[in-house]
Amino acid sequence: MHFNLTVGNLIEPTSGRHWDPPEISRQIDARIQHYQKLGFSAGDRAFLHLGNCLEFFADLLAIWRLGGCVIPIDNRLTLFEVKNLAQAATPRLSIIDDHTNSSITDYMSTSGVIIRHTLDCHTALNKSRNHLSTLNAIRLDDEAFILFTSGSTGDPKGVVHTHRSLRARWMSLHQSLGTLDFQRSLCMLPTHFGHGLICNCLFPWLSGNDLYILPPFRPDLIMNIGSILDEHQITFMSSVPSMWRVALKVAKPPSQRTIQRIHCGSAPLSGYLWEEIQAWSGTTAVCNSYGITETGSWVAGLAEKHVTPEDGLVGEGWGSVIKVLKTNDTRALEEKDLICQPGETGYVWLNTPALMKTYFQRDDLTNQVVHNGWFMTGDIGLLDDRHRLYLKGRERDEINKGGIKIYPADIDIVIEQFTQTVDVASFAYEEALYGQDVGVGVVLKDQNQSTIRDLYGWVKSRLAEHKIPTRWYLMESIPRTSRGKINRAAVMEYCSQHTPLNLREILHDSTQESK
Amino acid sequence: MNREHLKTDLTQFLQTIQHPDRPSTSIDEDDGLVESGWVDSLALLQIITYLEETYQIDFRKIGFVPSELRSIGTILDLIEREA
Repeated sequence: MHFNLTVGNLIEPTSGRHWDPPEISRQIDARIQHYQKLGFSAGDRAFLHLGNCLEFFADLLAIWRLGGCVIPIDNRLTLFEVKNLAQAATPRLSIIDDHTNSSITDYMSTSGVIIRHTLDCHTALNKSRNHLSTLNAIRLDDEAFILFTSGSTGDPKGVVHTHRSLRARWMSLHQSLGTLDFQRSLCMLPTHFGHGLICNCLFPWLSGNDLYILPPFRPDLIMNIGSILDEHQITFMSSVPSMWRVALKVAKPPSQRTIQRIHCGSAPLSGYLWEEIQAWSGTTAVCNSYGITETGSWVAGLAEKHVTPEDGLVGEGWGSVIKVLKTNDTRALEEKDLICQPGETGYVWLNTPALMKTYFQRDDLTNQVVHNGWFMTGDIGLLDDRHRLYLKGRERDEINKGGIKIYPADIDIVIEQFTQTVDVASFAYEEALYGQDVGVGVVLKDQNQSTIRDLYGWVKSRLAEHKIPTRWYLMESIPRTSRGKINRAAVMEYCSQHTPLNLREILHDSTQESK
Repeated sequence: MNREHLKTDLTQFLQTIQHPDRPSTSIDEDDGLVESGWVDSLALLQIITYLEETYQIDFRKIGFVPSELRSIGTILDLIEREA
């Protein structure tokens, strides 16, 4: 089934637009003809600046059928970040929509990248009503996706998935979960990251099921999720815990009980919240799906219909072998006695045919986490005597803001480059809605308000809004470990005992001064 | 509590949840809070929490209607009706 990429209907509940499979074929074909004429060919890469809309999926399959690689771009990224990614990935084509920032379009255009609006294929669309292309240049070991997970401000870290690794993920999910529950799947997650794209959208849709696609994380839609489930008879949706913190507070439960399965991932799910989701939705098939972009997202969870929630419980591998080892070092894997006993906490390693091919042009990073097919996840956990995985924490240096991972280094590198910065350390602080949000401690040569205003402006022009720290602290120095590394725990501790800057007042003073 | 008093309290609260670089000028009762850029869409969640905690409005019971949180005026109408 997943070798042929049989698609279901695509529906946008907010706009009412709907493409059935014949229309999707025409849309894909029009794009194939259009992009081919522009000179796009096998081995080329395309930036997809749009997401969570019907056109995104037509563009995606068109690029694949031309033998190209798709790089989904978060449309919240600044010009500074997109430039950085473009310099690394050298796309041949940039596909934009009305929401793409014109400064980004201008930059790509002057860099020799072909720019096309996703609707520019309309002439070809009329022709393709009579003649559908049979072109399909997909080869299993070609790059299908590069998903940039961090480094948008420094050295980009891009996860490369091939058509083989993606098919391995989808076939594993098919084998573990079947496709019946996914008949009418809803996606409210962004389509530029693994969880939303590979698993929430492409797995159901490329199994021939219907995909209902909404703009990501829109509060008014989350607050109305019960009626959306009812109106469209949704059978499956995936989610992140922060969505439920909102929905459970406000949304009326669905009354028609069509939902068969709910996944929740990308951030820790407590047993309490899990039970609340079950009670609200009327299904016990709620699963803490464990996924990492490098493994094609969902790699473990619970397949059964009646699930008893427990803090940290994930479940069994879906097309993967899970080991918990006493080491997180790829060089030490050949040593004996590394395997933790049932119930013993250690480092979670995974072996799956859906593992990424590599990090894009970063063999150094790949070698740090992959050895003989085993992937070091950076998570801490244990296996029980039934071989079910429980997660206990993370070793990775990341801020998990409502399921979206933000890397402190990406923020630090921008603030470091500001001329008045002496030292900086960003960190996660606990926040009721998102789980975590971004704080930053900064040492400045000059701490007056105009410097802080300039620094804020500097950061705002270089970092996507969701990455901009929401709490700022001035510090005399940044605590470091004996090896010279930033001691983020100590920074966090210091800041938790101090009052953050009143940015509003500082920025407002600037407005007053300029009048 | 009269509407003027409610409005003062609400406006003070909304100022605390504005992004630091959003406009600080006053806003008319009928202007769209998000449309005018006064707050972003995520602020809706904070407004809901405020209404629940301050006026014990139970949205899960009454249901969420986005237009009721569109402007200061519609929020005041909601408070007067439900609180």
